[in-house]
Amino acid sequence: MPNNNHYFKAIVMGGSAGSFSVISNILSKIRPDFKPPIILSLHRLKHVRSGLVEGLSLKSKIKVIEPNDKEKLSYNNVYLAPSNYHLFIEIDGSISLSTEESYNHSRPSIDYTLSSAAYVYRDKILGILLTGANKDGAKGLKDIHDKRGFTIIQDPSTCDIDTMPKEALKLFKPNKVFSPDQIVEFLNSLPQ
Amino acid sequence: MQEREGSKTYKEYLKVLKECSPYNFCEYSNNSIDRRITKIMRDNRLNMDELIYKTRKDQSFVEYVVESITVNTTELFRDPLIWEYLLKEVVPKLKGHPQINIWHAGCSTGQEVYSFMILLDQLNMLEKSKIYATDISQKALNCAAKGEYVYNFNYEKYLTNFEEVFKNHTTNVNFNDYFKVDKAKDLISVKAKLKEKTNFIKHDLVKEEMPFYNKFDIIFCRNVLIYFNESLQSRIVQRFHDNLFNKGVMVLGTHEGLNGFFRTKFARNNYVYSKTDTFHFKY
Repeated sequence: MPNNNHYFKAIVMGGSAGSFSVISNILSKIRPDFKPPIILSLHRLKHVRSGLVEGLSLKSKIKVIEPNDKEKLSYNNVYLAPSNYHLFIEIDGSISLSTEESYNHSRPSIDYTLSSAAYVYRDKILGILLTGANKDGAKGLKDIHDKRGFTIIQDPSTCDIDTMPKEALKLFKPNKVFSPDQIVEFLNSLPQ
Repeated sequence: MQEREGSKTYKEYLKVLKECSPYNFCEYSNNSIDRRITKIMRDNRLNMDELIYKTRKDQSFVEYVVESITVNTTELFRDPLIWEYLLKEVVPKLKGHPQINIWHAGCSTGQEVYSFMILLDQLNMLEKSKIYATDISQKALNCAAKGEYVYNFNYEKYLTNFEEVFKNHTTNVNFNDYFKVDKAKDLISVKAKLKEKTNFIKHDLVKEEMPFYNKFDIIFCRNVLIYFNESLQSRIVQRFHDNLFNKGVMVLGTHEGLNGFFRTKFARNNYVYSKTDTFHFKY
């Protein structure tokens, strides 16, 4: 499992179809003092505009926030990309939002969030790509990989829909291919 | 996304643009402007040197660049809860005013300008309203003045938003009173009585000069400030503060907040900010 080189300034996770229950499960088992900010970029069904933050908060051990533009990332928080906005990490560790065109038919686009995090945190970022029904996220996770960040892809055999992880696996070899339980175990064993 | 190793170069490009055109994008937030310029280069198959050359030589290309940098995504009654709140709580308080001045700053293609006019009309306050709508993009303003929108066969969504806003309103409000829907052409057109009422004016928010002299009861600036860095955001919010009547209302996007300093100059009520004349020293 992790070693002392595994020090991350932030965790970014992307997912679409089927990812709500996986994330909810991860957040319900994560240690309450988990330090690095966790940034979630999740596709939502078009007609379900709100309720996701409340849904995730129900079980989460850590506070879940839908951040405002220019909000600074801080320890021990989960940041959920607001519905209908792209979310980026800026170089000063703040969040910026945008309403520009959908990318990969998605807003938020997981590629956008992951790529911006890769650029800012380089080898100090952990990127996790979960179950999903489109290719958005694969390229962003590769950007993290290329910047020597740490990458985990959910084991396709544990996914509701495995398009997203399989697309990423086509592009590069991640550090780990994990089941949701292994992801939790890994996160909880990180040095705080 | 593109490699950002050359991130210095887009900043240099913005300096060139500032130097040889009336536009200044130097204080746009990094990620968004970088991506827009990368897209312009990709769409036109230009490298940075070629982009700079073309920008210096060709004024019509500069206008194209400005149009491409500007983000024009807006919809009718985006975030219905805000509009419902304005309808119930905010606008009725202005009923006694002889005239109501409204500014939509960064109105894009105008959907929210019309959305608000419908609210005013429902409260019988449209007649006495003076409405100004500004944007940096001439193309967006032309579209706004025309009042015709392709809705990508997603008519239901607009109708749902509309109905959500007026679901508890005193009278029954009919979408067709305000819009003509052409399903074959995939087009929603705003009816003439709304279109006649608005002044669409080209104005760059980055610039200090204002295109009008009056103060305002309500200023809308939704999902515009997110494209600017913090210092530019603050200057613009200060200008809104200067141009509001006391207790005037500022409406921002759902995920736009004010920094600490401005939280002393505006009071937050639910979805909107109102100008206060008190300064809270505890900040």
